[in-house]
Amino acid sequence: MNSLQRMQPPVFPIEKVTIQEAKSFRLNNGIPVYLIEAGTEEIMRLEFVFRAGQVKEHLPLLASTCNLMLSEGSQNYSSEELNRLLDFYGIFFNQSAEKDSAGIVLFFLNKHIEKVLELSREILFRPVFPQPELNSLMKKRLRWYMVNREKVQNLAMDQFFESVFGKSHPYGYQICEQDFENMTSAILSDFHTKYYIPENMTIIISGKLHVKTPELLNSYIGNFGSNKNNTEAPVYPIKGEKSKKIHISKPGAVQNAVRIGSATINKRHSDYPGLKILDSILGGYFGSRLMKNIREEKGFTYGISSTISSLDLSGYKIISTEVGQNNSQRAIDEIYKEINLLQNVRVKNDEMAVVRNYMSGEMLRMFDGPFALAESFKSAWEFGLDNSYYYRLAEKIKTIEPDEIIELARTYYNIEDLYEITVGAE
Amino acid sequence: MIDYKKFTLENGLRVLVHEDKSTPLVAMNILYDVGSRDEDPGMTGLAHLFEHLMFGGSLNIPDYDTPLQLVGGENNAFTNNDITNYYLTIPSANIETGFWLESDRMLELDFSQKNLDTQRNVVIEEFNQRYLNQPYGDVILKMRPLAYKVHPYRWPAIGMDMAHIKNVNIDQVKDFFFSHYAPNNAIMSLTGNIGYDLAYKLSEKWFGPIANRQVKLRNLPSEPEQKEERIITVERDVPSTALYKVWHIGSRTSNDFYTLDLITDILAGGESGRLQTKLVRGKKLFSEINAYLTADIDPGLIIVQGKLMKGVSIQQAEDSVNDVILDLHKENEIGEEMEKVKNKFESSTVFSNTSILNKAANLAFFELLGNPELINNEVEKYGNVSLGMVKEALDKYFIPHNCSTINYISTRKEK
Repeated sequence: MNSLQRMQPPVFPIEKVTIQEAKSFRLNNGIPVYLIEAGTEEIMRLEFVFRAGQVKEHLPLLASTCNLMLSEGSQNYSSEELNRLLDFYGIFFNQSAEKDSAGIVLFFLNKHIEKVLELSREILFRPVFPQPELNSLMKKRLRWYMVNREKVQNLAMDQFFESVFGKSHPYGYQICEQDFENMTSAILSDFHTKYYIPENMTIIISGKLHVKTPELLNSYIGNFGSNKNNTEAPVYPIKGEKSKKIHISKPGAVQNAVRIGSATINKRHSDYPGLKILDSILGGYFGSRLMKNIREEKGFTYGISSTISSLDLSGYKIISTEVGQNNSQRAIDEIYKEINLLQNVRVKNDEMAVVRNYMSGEMLRMFDGPFALAESFKSAWEFGLDNSYYYRLAEKIKTIEPDEIIELARTYYNIEDLYEITVGAE
Repeated sequence: MIDYKKFTLENGLRVLVHEDKSTPLVAMNILYDVGSRDEDPGMTGLAHLFEHLMFGGSLNIPDYDTPLQLVGGENNAFTNNDITNYYLTIPSANIETGFWLESDRMLELDFSQKNLDTQRNVVIEEFNQRYLNQPYGDVILKMRPLAYKVHPYRWPAIGMDMAHIKNVNIDQVKDFFFSHYAPNNAIMSLTGNIGYDLAYKLSEKWFGPIANRQVKLRNLPSEPEQKEERIITVERDVPSTALYKVWHIGSRTSNDFYTLDLITDILAGGESGRLQTKLVRGKKLFSEINAYLTADIDPGLIIVQGKLMKGVSIQQAEDSVNDVILDLHKENEIGEEMEKVKNKFESSTVFSNTSILNKAANLAFFELLGNPELINNEVEKYGNVSLGMVKEALDKYFIPHNCSTINYISTRKEK
C-alpha cells in the first residue's frame, strides 16, 4: 500500500537574510533611541542599556548590586509598590548586569506604555537604595551564591574567567563570601550617580510600536540631565594567570565539569565571522564534531558545546561539558584531537554544505520577530557595529573555503594557549 | 486571536495549521500521546530514552539531524509524564524536508543496537547531570513516590531507577514503538509561513501512506484519595535547609485547574507574590520560595518549595507557609490581587503566542486535551475565576491530609 518513494525532497537555497533596519533619533537630553518596527501583536520590548557593567566597578558585586537595587525603592515608590505595579500591569521586568553593560528590559502590552515609562523613570533615575532592603538582598544573595557554588559547572566557569582574564580584572576575579558584606547605600548611590546617567545610556525599542512612542519617551525620560563629572572607571590590566591547567576538587561530585578555552578576538576583528564558522564546526550545533564524537558516538556526556563570545576589551572561546568521572580524561583527549584535526585536515565539502546551510537558517532565526531583532541589534551595536556586520557574516558563511578554516584553527586554537579547567570528585 | 484550521487524515493523524506570513520560517510540532505514565513499573524511563532513539535514524534515512541542518533547520524534543513532543523550525522553502524526516520516523525506526547502547549512556549522564550532581536535584525522585502510591506519576519522566535504562533491550524498544508511535496516536501542528493548502497536500503525501496501528490502550490506576498527612525528612550536605510541600489536585481539564493556577500566582507569581512579600522580604525566613502546579493531564500537584535563611527552623518555615495560605483563606479583600494575576495571564498569553514554536506546541497540546480553541480562550477562563471559587478550592485542596512534605535538612555546620 505504500507506493510513495521516500526520497529526499530537493534542497532549496536558504533565502538571504534581510534585516529590518532600526530607526534612530535622540531625546531632548541627547539619549540615543533605536526603534525597530516589527511583529503582529500589540506588544513592545523596551531596553535601557548603560555602560555600567562589572568593568566599571571598584568592588566585586558592585555593578550587579546597584542594578538589582534599582527596583528596591525610589523617591515615589517603595520596593513593594514597584513590584506590585509591575505585576499589576502584566509587565515582564528583567534586570541584568553583565561584564560590560547593565540595564533593564521590559516587555509589555502597548496599552500600558505610559505606566511602563513612569515606572522605568522611577527605577532608573530615582532609586534611593534603602539600607534595610540592601541588607536583606545581600543576605539572600549570599544564600544563592552558596547554592551556586555547589554546582561543578559554576565552579569551573568562575575559575575559567579568573584564569583567562586574571585575578585582578573585573572580567576575571571570583566572588568570595566576604564580598557580600561590603555594600553600603552610599557606595551604590555613588556608582549610580556616575554611571546611570543620560550620557552613558541607550534605549532600544522593538515591537508593533505605539504611535506616540517618541513623544512619550521624551516626556518621561527626555528631561533628565546629570552632573557628569568625567570620572573615568578604574582601568585594570587583563593578564591571564600562568597556570594553564587547574583542577578543583569537589568531593562527592558524580560528574566532572570541563572548561577548555582562552581569550580571543571579538566582533570588531575582521577574522571574527570566520572564527564563528570554525567554532560551529567544532562545537556550535548538534551536528558539530564534538557533539558527534563525544555524545553521539561515545555516549560520554549529555552535552558538549563550543562557543565564542565578545567582550568590549577582549573576547573568549570556551568548550564546555559535564562528563562522567571515568571518561573525563578521554573526553579531554578527544577535544584536543578534534582541534588538531581542524588545524591539519581540510573540512570536506559535504560537511561544509551542512554547516553553511545550518548557519544560514540560524541567521533567519536570529532576526525572526521583534525580540530576536532587538537582541541581535544590541549585540552588534555594543561593539560599534551595524547590520553590515551580519551581512559580512552571512557572506562569509557562503564563501569561506576549507583552507581558510585550517588557517583560522592554527591562528586561534593554539593548544598551548588553552586553559584547561576541571572540577570533580578527586 | 490565533486563526487555525484542522483536518484529520484517514489514518487518524490530526493536523492543525496556523499561517503567519510575518516570518520566513515554519514550525512543525509532532506530539505523540505517550509519556512516562504509559510505562511498565519495571521499565521506567523508556518513553524518554525512546525520544533519544528517535534521532538515531529511521527506515529510509540513516541520520535525522544532518539532512535537517542541510536545509537550515533546527530541532529538539522533550518527554514528560504525559507526552513526547518533537519540534523543528525550518526556512519555509524547505518545509517538505521536515515532512520527509518526520513521516519516515513515524513509519519505522532503524532500531540499531549501537544507537541504543550509546543513547542509554547519554541518558544516564543526563540523569547524573540533572538529578545527582545538583544540590537538591534528587528531591523530585523523593517527592513523586511520596505523593503517589499507585498512579505512574510516582516516577519521574527520566525513570525511577537507572537500572531500568541499563537493562532495556532492543525488542522492548521495538515493542514500545509499535504500541505507541502511530499516526492515530499523534497530533501535528504547523505554524508560520505555510498555507493550509500546502500543509494539507504535504501531510497527505508524506503521512497519508502510513497505516494506522493498534495502539496500546491506556488503562491507568487512579490514585486513591490521600487520607493522612505524609512527612519525610532527608539529610543532605547542602548549604541551606529546604522545605517542599505538595497537595493533590484534579486533572488538567478539571474546572478547578484555572482557579488553582490563579491561587499559586497570588501566592508566588512574581516579586509581588504573597509568599515572596511576606516570607522572603517581610519576615526574612526564606531566601527564595515558589508555588506552582505540575499541570499534568491526570490529577496533578500543587508544589510549594523554598530554601530557608540561616538560623530558621524547619518548623518555623512550615508554620509560616501554612499561615500565608490560611490568611488567604480568611480575607475577603483580594480583588486587586486577583485582577493583578489575571492581567499577568493575559500578558503572558500574548507573549507566548508571538513565537511560532510556542503556538505550534500549544495548538498540539490543546488538541490533545480535546479543545484547540483553548489557545484563544484560556485567558477568559482565568478571567471567570471568582472569589467564591478561590475559597472553595482552598477548602477542598489545601488540607493537611491531602499534603505531603519533605523536610530537606542541611547537615552542614556553618561558622
